[in-house]
Amino acid sequence: MESPTALVSLIIGLPLLGFLINGILGLSSTAYRSKKTLIGILANLAVFIPFLCALTLFLNFDSESAAAFAHLFTWMETGSFSVDIAYQVDQLSLIMTLVVTGVGSLIHLYSIGYMAHDEGFWKFFAYLNLFIFAMLNLVLADNLLLLFLGWEGVGLCSYLLIGFWYTDMSKSDAAKKAFLYNRVGDFAFLIAIFMIFETIGSLNFEVILTSLEAFSGNDIFWIGLLILIGATGKSAQIPLFVWLPDAMAGPTPVSALIHAATMVTSGIYLITRMSPMFVMSPEVMMIVAVIGALTAIVAATIAITQYDIKGVLAYSTVSQLGFMFLALGSGAFTAAIFHVVTHAFFKACLFLGSGSVIHTMEHVEHKLHDKGKDVHFDPQDIRNMGGLRKYMPSTYKTFLIATIAIAGIPPLAGFFSKDEIVMHAFNMGFGEYAGAMYFILWGVATITAFLTAFYMFRLTFTTFHGSFKLPKLINGTEGSEEYLHESPATMTTALWSLAGLSIVGGFIGLPNFVSKTFGGDGHINWLHEWLHTIAADIPLTLSGTAEWALMTFAIIVAAVSVYIAYKMYGNDQQEESDAWIASKFGPFYRVWKDKYSLDELYEGAIVHPTVNFSDKVLAVFDMKIVDGFVNAIAGTVRISGSLLRYIQTGVASNYALFLILGVILVLTILLF
Amino acid sequence: MDTFIFIFLAVLTIGSGLGMVLNRNTVNSALFLVLNMVSIAGIYLLLQAQFLALIQILVYAGAIMVLFLFVIMLLNLDDERSLFSKVRAKYISAFFLGVVTLSLILYSLEGVADLLPEISPEMETAGTVEALGDVLYTDYLFAFEMTAILLTAAVVGALMIAQYKKSNNGASE
Amino acid sequence: MNYLLDLQSFLPGIIVAVAGLAAIMLEAFKKSANTSFSVTIGGIAVALLFAIQSLYGEAGTAFSGMIVYGGVGAFGSVVVLLGALFCVTISREYLRDLDLHNGEVYGMILFSTTGMLGLAVSNDLITLFISLETMSICLYVLAGLMKNEKIGAESALKYFLLGAFSTGFLLYGIALIYGATAATNLTEIAAAAQPTFLFLCGTGLLFVGLFFKVAAVPFHMWTPDVYQGTPTTITAFMATAAKSATFVAFVLVLTRMLPSSEIGDWQSVLQVVAILTMIVGNLIALAQDNVKRMLAYSSIAHAGYLMVGLAAGNEAGYAGVLYYLFAYTIMNAGAFGVIAYYERNHGLDFTEIDSYAGLGFKVPVMGVMLSVFLFSLAGIPPMVGFIGKYYVFAAAVQAGLIPLAIIGVLASAASVYYYLRVMVYLYFKEAHKEYSLKTPGFLFKWTLILLAVLTVYYGVEPVLPTSSLMELISSYYTV
Repeated sequence: MESPTALVSLIIGLPLLGFLINGILGLSSTAYRSKKTLIGILANLAVFIPFLCALTLFLNFDSESAAAFAHLFTWMETGSFSVDIAYQVDQLSLIMTLVVTGVGSLIHLYSIGYMAHDEGFWKFFAYLNLFIFAMLNLVLADNLLLLFLGWEGVGLCSYLLIGFWYTDMSKSDAAKKAFLYNRVGDFAFLIAIFMIFETIGSLNFEVILTSLEAFSGNDIFWIGLLILIGATGKSAQIPLFVWLPDAMAGPTPVSALIHAATMVTSGIYLITRMSPMFVMSPEVMMIVAVIGALTAIVAATIAITQYDIKGVLAYSTVSQLGFMFLALGSGAFTAAIFHVVTHAFFKACLFLGSGSVIHTMEHVEHKLHDKGKDVHFDPQDIRNMGGLRKYMPSTYKTFLIATIAIAGIPPLAGFFSKDEIVMHAFNMGFGEYAGAMYFILWGVATITAFLTAFYMFRLTFTTFHGSFKLPKLINGTEGSEEYLHESPATMTTALWSLAGLSIVGGFIGLPNFVSKTFGGDGHINWLHEWLHTIAADIPLTLSGTAEWALMTFAIIVAAVSVYIAYKMYGNDQQEESDAWIASKFGPFYRVWKDKYSLDELYEGAIVHPTVNFSDKVLAVFDMKIVDGFVNAIAGTVRISGSLLRYIQTGVASNYALFLILGVILVLTILLF
Repeated sequence: MDTFIFIFLAVLTIGSGLGMVLNRNTVNSALFLVLNMVSIAGIYLLLQAQFLALIQILVYAGAIMVLFLFVIMLLNLDDERSLFSKVRAKYISAFFLGVVTLSLILYSLEGVADLLPEISPEMETAGTVEALGDVLYTDYLFAFEMTAILLTAAVVGALMIAQYKKSNNGASE
Repeated sequence: MNYLLDLQSFLPGIIVAVAGLAAIMLEAFKKSANTSFSVTIGGIAVALLFAIQSLYGEAGTAFSGMIVYGGVGAFGSVVVLLGALFCVTISREYLRDLDLHNGEVYGMILFSTTGMLGLAVSNDLITLFISLETMSICLYVLAGLMKNEKIGAESALKYFLLGAFSTGFLLYGIALIYGATAATNLTEIAAAAQPTFLFLCGTGLLFVGLFFKVAAVPFHMWTPDVYQGTPTTITAFMATAAKSATFVAFVLVLTRMLPSSEIGDWQSVLQVVAILTMIVGNLIALAQDNVKRMLAYSSIAHAGYLMVGLAAGNEAGYAGVLYYLFAYTIMNAGAFGVIAYYERNHGLDFTEIDSYAGLGFKVPVMGVMLSVFLFSLAGIPPMVGFIGKYYVFAAAVQAGLIPLAIIGVLASAASVYYYLRVMVYLYFKEAHKEYSLKTPGFLFKWTLILLAVLTVYYGVEPVLPTSSLMELISSYYTV
């Protein structure tokens, strides 16, 4: 295909332009801030046009096309080291770009309605555009350094947006927490980048992936591990996942866009991009898989105990990201990307649906305040909800569709992607390295799939089925049902679009064995064909029968889980059922409810000792020795500065004297 | 012969220069300057620069010095003596530095006296008005035009500094 | 000889000179000062367009070899005109408050700019001298604009006296060079040059004259007094355009007159002066409590960094110097602009650092911009100042002058202290008393915003990567 420079410039440039226009005009003119329609339209176009551009590129591309490069300019160049602002258009980056701009467009659209009454409207859209810009840099970069810039950029935007309502202390704390946990990962990633540069002197993906033999096995292991740690930070995996649930403090569209659909998947993108390197080290692959499976089940068990609608979704996101890591670790890179795509659809839909619910619950609270009733309740607590399907039919239907998708019921999107992952994990059990481990991981994944369907339906039933419970729980809220209403059209449009994608999204990755069984050529998995030049997948070696059996088993697990959930939560029994689980699982339930006490663990094991150490030892060392040394130097410098100052007498003839001195100096150097 | 005239004029130039700087009476000082200018004009003549010598006398020794003297006499600057401040060390160090600079320059000039170009027949006519005008409007046109700007700027600048207070400030707003 | 072609090669200078005459004539006929102001801006802007155009043309000599066009000279002209343009646009309100907003001042600025343009393209010591004088005489007058203030009159007089003194050396140097080589044209001198005492002495004195104009230590003593006693926006003009023009002339002299290192040990002179300038400039700046004086010493220090590029003596060094001049013009014009803004509100003594306490929050956009400019001056990435410093120091390393580069980096690190100190006052000190600041005017504010944006933009994407600057310079060796 011809050079994509123009289109790539548009894709990258427009979000930046949107950010600059809204940012600068909003900053400098208060009149502009109130023109919300204009701001909204500009911000939306700044993402939607790139989407169309990406679509154009996509349509001109096929699975055999070689990567096309758009070299915009050289940022800096010194000796052998040069940093190019250059982008790589290939099958993988196109998929990611389409997801980022496509889902991004829908969420931008949704935000117009959601943020309509916020006075930081302009700022919100400026940040969102900036985020899209950074994210596109991340997925389109043709070298690790530019990717790292995008990587840091999305981290920054995530920080800004989590703390968007920064006047609330807990929200700005959440922002800080997210930033710090990300930094830990980023540091490891940076070391990996240094190691790569040290070995082959280039950060270009093409160069790295074609000169892998230059790395020793040891190098591969450590670089892989460091990249993995970087990815666990950004993609919220054990041990660095605790920031993501807190990150729900940001506005809901942000949770949907950044903390579900796009940014958190950048770790998966990165590992897929580097997949030829990862498959060279089975040890790292296994660590990736273990971390993924462990995260999946830990987060899923926590999700069962949560009451906050966004909290459940947050842990569910962590859990699904765990699935993706399991896929990576099982050599199913395509499946991981597949799950990234489908997850972007249904999780964005779920988050936006929850936003719609929160929106209406807040509306109820405001209305009650307007009526002069001084009532306070948590608009995100599902125990206050129930029966909402009567009042918000569109939200309910789309939420339900997305729930079915995530639960893994065929033929919705989540089923195909999750099934492929589980199957690959099982397949790895027959591999040469640590087979038994992968069987265990398969078991863990299956249990997690069961839990996923369970907690998601628990959430849906409690929120939308049964009766509206707020009036029964809190005095003064009688008759508040009348304030419940469906969200505006901009919001439901986005919901329905995403719900539609959640239904059909799975068809890009139909399992090949189905086709084989019915006499096809075994190539109906479009995504697999599309990515085969990039993702270094470890092929499935299972027989057709085994695959059918596994798939049937997965469907049964999901169906049973949904049935149990319906029995337990289908009709206003949330309180009793939760109590029943708590009594049945006793100590386990408490551990789940305390979120495995990870926050406390980090606080006790790392934060406190560090603070103490720096307070008691480092501070003294710093004050007495470092500062003393620095002060001594600074003092000397300042004194000599003051002394030199005396030369500056202000008398012109003295100045002339120095001039002559200079003449003598110059002539002396020259002549002798 | 040339050499002797040159030495005479050079001594006169330096002597009158020193006389101008060291003399405490401003009028005497100014008169020393006139002598200085005239002897420099003599050196020009020696170098076949007739036009330059003439202009030197006309403009500097004539017009400018007359203006100088007028100003000095009008302002009655005889009590300028107080300008010489008490700092003696400065003069001493200035003297030594001057000696060092001079000796450096002399040292550098010492070995090169014979490198000075011989006066050729072409150079004999170089100082005439025609020759000067010829190169001024061709080869040195740029410098000539730039000098025009320099002079304009100098005149305007002198006026700006000298004018007491702009009267039309309000009007210009 | 085609005079039309000659005129065309100095078109920016001619336009600026005509604009200068127009500004003065308009004033004489009692037109509003705003008309002169518009003529000034227009003249410089048109000249800038022609200068930029000539940047892409070929290089050559004109006026019988008196000047060069294209190449380095064109780049110098662009930088000079940019400096002049920015300083004029930020000047109007400030000068109006000082009662100095009139056509004559703008006329002087334009004449001075003409001199600078001549300086930046000079290919002959006569051109160099006369252009330098045109520039300087106008600057003497501009330095004395605040003649009713004691500090203003004093600084102008000092500037004039010392300037005349240094010009004496310069002229004597030119005379000695002529004596040694019988030529004033730079390339002819280069052809005839022998490392005789006469020639070395002449060149040394020529250097002294140039050192004085760029405020290199120990020829810098006039700088702080003059910078402090001059209206701030005019100081910006001196610190940016005048310094750039002189440095470009310096580059021309070094590349065209002294291309071979066998004629004299120029590198050592430049190295010693560079080291002195960086150390003394930064050290004294550390001890300053007046922001304007601090900037004066910082400008001395920057002359030192620029001198590092000259001392490197390779194409990378000269390219670094040119880029640095561009960077320095942008960020320094900006910094002086903000200071002029603060000063406008509370009189001339409002440059003491104490009075900056808590100022950053008063008009946030100004505080932020000052921070950007100071960060850039301190050489912190990703500002344009960092790129400039990087180029000159890298060139020094390339030329094997590693100690020089190390001293430069250390000096530059020390400079962070006094730049950040201003910011500490801006943001971390309580204001002494309550006061409100005037709203900045439209042109003023947007000029500064443009400068701040450029400062950051060119820090991220260098305008002319050094390779193309190097082409400009090598096009010069062949002319």
